[in-house]
Amino acid sequence: MHHAVGSSTLLSFEHVTKFYGPVIGINDVSCRVGPGITGLLGANGAGKSTLIKLASGQLRPTQGTVLIGQHQAWSTAAKHHLGYSPDLNSFYEEMTGREFVYTMARLHGFSRGEARQRTEYALEEVGMADRARRHLAGYSHGMRQRIKLAQTLVHDPWLLLLDEPLAGIDPGGRREISELLLKLAGQGKTLLISSHILVEIEQLSSSIIMMSRGRIVACGTIAEVRNLMQFRPLVVEIVAEPARRLAALLAENPDVQGVEVRDSVLIVRTRNPSKFFDQIGQLVCAHGIEVLRLQTLDGGADAVFEYLQQGRP
Amino acid sequence: MKLLRAWTTLTSLTFRRLLWSASTMMVLLPLTGCLLFILWRFHNRPDLATRDFRDFSEFLILIFASIVVPICALAFGTASVGGDREDRTLVFLLVRPIPRALVLLAKFTATLPLVLGLVVGSYWLYCRLAGEVGQVAFGLYLPALIYMTLAYVCLFHLFAVAFRHSTIIALIYALFMELLLGNIPGIAKRVAVNYYGRSIMYAAGANEGLPTPDPRWFEPLSVDAASWALVGIAFGGLLLALVIFSRREYRDLT
Repeated sequence: MHHAVGSSTLLSFEHVTKFYGPVIGINDVSCRVGPGITGLLGANGAGKSTLIKLASGQLRPTQGTVLIGQHQAWSTAAKHHLGYSPDLNSFYEEMTGREFVYTMARLHGFSRGEARQRTEYALEEVGMADRARRHLAGYSHGMRQRIKLAQTLVHDPWLLLLDEPLAGIDPGGRREISELLLKLAGQGKTLLISSHILVEIEQLSSSIIMMSRGRIVACGTIAEVRNLMQFRPLVVEIVAEPARRLAALLAENPDVQGVEVRDSVLIVRTRNPSKFFDQIGQLVCAHGIEVLRLQTLDGGADAVFEYLQQGRP
Repeated sequence: MKLLRAWTTLTSLTFRRLLWSASTMMVLLPLTGCLLFILWRFHNRPDLATRDFRDFSEFLILIFASIVVPICALAFGTASVGGDREDRTLVFLLVRPIPRALVLLAKFTATLPLVLGLVVGSYWLYCRLAGEVGQVAFGLYLPALIYMTLAYVCLFHLFAVAFRHSTIIALIYALFMELLLGNIPGIAKRVAVNYYGRSIMYAAGANEGLPTPDPRWFEPLSVDAASWALVGIAFGGLLLALVIFSRREYRDLT
């Protein structure tokens, strides 16, 4: 399976398999992540962390290759282009936020002056410039998330790997960070954001990668993934007059699995939503049925993800 | 130039973090205990008899070769990398554009002067406090202590990159291999680093009247052989640590 995401290839996985002893972490994964925000979705144990660790060069693939541009992700050369924000709360607690970000800049080899300049820029970007004098040990979870983000930005990489970057941030902060991530994407950077909160990803991402049991189950733009869903069973609620007449007509449709009538409300289960939506318009027009409301009951990304997971061995 | 700056930053960061760590406290306590013993036993004794030199030498060999040097090296040698592993901050270093071998060399470069400083500094202080016997002893045993420090620091770096809970493993090693096997009769003691250090120390003290130990309990190696053994342990251990650290995946980082 080969998945194409985005136009310009920056981060690529080519038939990557990773074993942890006898346990398989990810299995024959191929995908390319280009500029913009790509959401990496999956339940716990789906393989998201392994994918991120491979991309950040913490792990080496058992088979296949992981490339950041032209460089193997494991190599030192690739690290120049990579900003990584791990999903952990450990820091050099004795440092202030500013010292931490400055130290990370210095570890990229910047001179004192340049590191200071870049630190101030990064802190400003994540909204921590006025709170960076405090020691990290006294920071809230949200402040720690911002500092982690600042240390990923300090060397201006074009690839950002962010593991749960919005976890623990208050709603106002989420909006600010989301705006920052969108701004970075607008600058042409490539962002791979791992999350298990689908709504978060839907609001940010132009593309998504869905993982389950070590494999990519769906990959592409959100529209492309939606197209994959056309044969997914769907429950639709219809408020119509006369409801019973519409129920009888729908029951004859081979793509409808079941119809339930509650006063004027129909609950319809279809196995082919795309065809169903094509046909229902013609049906109500032909029989003069008035449709007052039509809505899907399980069309959210969570249901999509659940369905995709069920479909995999 | 950028790589050099990054490397010196990491070395300086490691040095500062080790200096202000719990390891320093852990090391200062036994050193202070020894200091008090020295003050009680040797201070203000004007006579420089052979007996005093022998007593002081045996004290130094016992305390420094078996306790002070291994403890200082263990405390800082395992903490330099092991501390980052246990605090889960190592990931912040491994995603920087510094080759892994250089990351470990920076850790080593920061640790060695710290341990050497503590060992040589406390040794110098004890020798000063012991009066004239101390002044005689200082130059005699210093090379052996430096060799041992180098060997232990390298060895405990190897432990740190190879084992997750390296401090515990190193403590078990120090108790079992260095204290127990290092002090039993026969050739089993050759697995202990301090055997080679003590061999050099006994040879150095012999000209000043330090008696050679009973060969049934301790048969020293020649100075050359013991020195080469310590240098071999040091460079072999460091090389192995560099290879492991460069290739190893640390799955427990995040």
